[in-house]
Amino acid sequence: MSSNNLVVIGVSTGGPLTLKALFRELPPLNAAFLIVLHITPQMDYRIAQGLNAVASMPVALAEDGEFLRSGNIYLAPGGFHLSLEGNQRVVLYEGARVNYVQPAVDVTMRSLSRPLGGGKVIGVILTGMGKDGAEGIRHIKQIGGVTIAQDQNSSTIYGMPKAAVQTGAVNFVLPPKKIADKLAELLDRIA
Amino acid sequence: MSKRIMIVDDNEYVRASVEIICQSVQLDLTSAASGPECLELLGSGFRGVILMDIMMPDMDGWDTIREIVAKGLYSGNIIVMLTGMGEPDSKMDGLQEYVSDYMTKPFGPDQLIESLQYYLALLAAVGDHEQ
Repeated sequence: MSSNNLVVIGVSTGGPLTLKALFRELPPLNAAFLIVLHITPQMDYRIAQGLNAVASMPVALAEDGEFLRSGNIYLAPGGFHLSLEGNQRVVLYEGARVNYVQPAVDVTMRSLSRPLGGGKVIGVILTGMGKDGAEGIRHIKQIGGVTIAQDQNSSTIYGMPKAAVQTGAVNFVLPPKKIADKLAELLDRIA
Repeated sequence: MSKRIMIVDDNEYVRASVEIICQSVQLDLTSAASGPECLELLGSGFRGVILMDIMMPDMDGWDTIREIVAKGLYSGNIIVMLTGMGEPDSKMDGLQEYVSDYMTKPFGPDQLIESLQYYLALLAAVGDHEQ
């Protein structure tokens, strides 16, 4: 089954264990999942491997030019910004750091366009220092998407989720297990 | 699989606590009492999970990470910050990519062991850049 559903997850410090906690709870769902973690090129492959061991969907580093496919999890590689053309085609590029980081969550989320053909766009901000992702969440809300932020209690660092919530554009504030439940509620399950 | 851990903390009681926890699960621990000692150990070839205190005299945890990166010693390591404070200040800006986790002291043994074992498993995966 394929779809135009897309989930973009922005995360930073505390991310490896939080992503593990989230994805081990998540059944295979009818959406492409794109994770933007503040990460170096030395660590990106390792994180993808670690997630692949616990997730119910395959995990890989996103490659320049590829089209995201439903039922797959992609991790933005370190050292590049990642934008999406038509919410599907990956464009990697080197550029100035945004919010002190590269890849930046805001870059990816702000590249999204209003989904066509009934597709859903969901933006999630998890633990992390700073405010990266807040503008992206505001953008996703503006294009008709659903927005979720991790709650303070479960966040290793309640910086990015707090900044997202402060935009007033977050629909749900939840711990990782309940974020998984919410995603399963919003998206169809695939075999 | 590498099972190496380094604790970098000027407080000997914290170093001793981490040593007891690591010994309980047969993890190989190396101790450094300062940022410069940490850099020396990395220069001598240490690779593994680094538990880095933030508040240390002369060179704090953030300055130590900046030196690790500047000297090209980051690759092959995972850095976890240890702190007695709440959330980090702006000295962390620009270092997010190098800090995988942030643990507030005191931390429970089970929490520390679970984290260390996951990070060691990540380090055991061979990256494209190292093949």
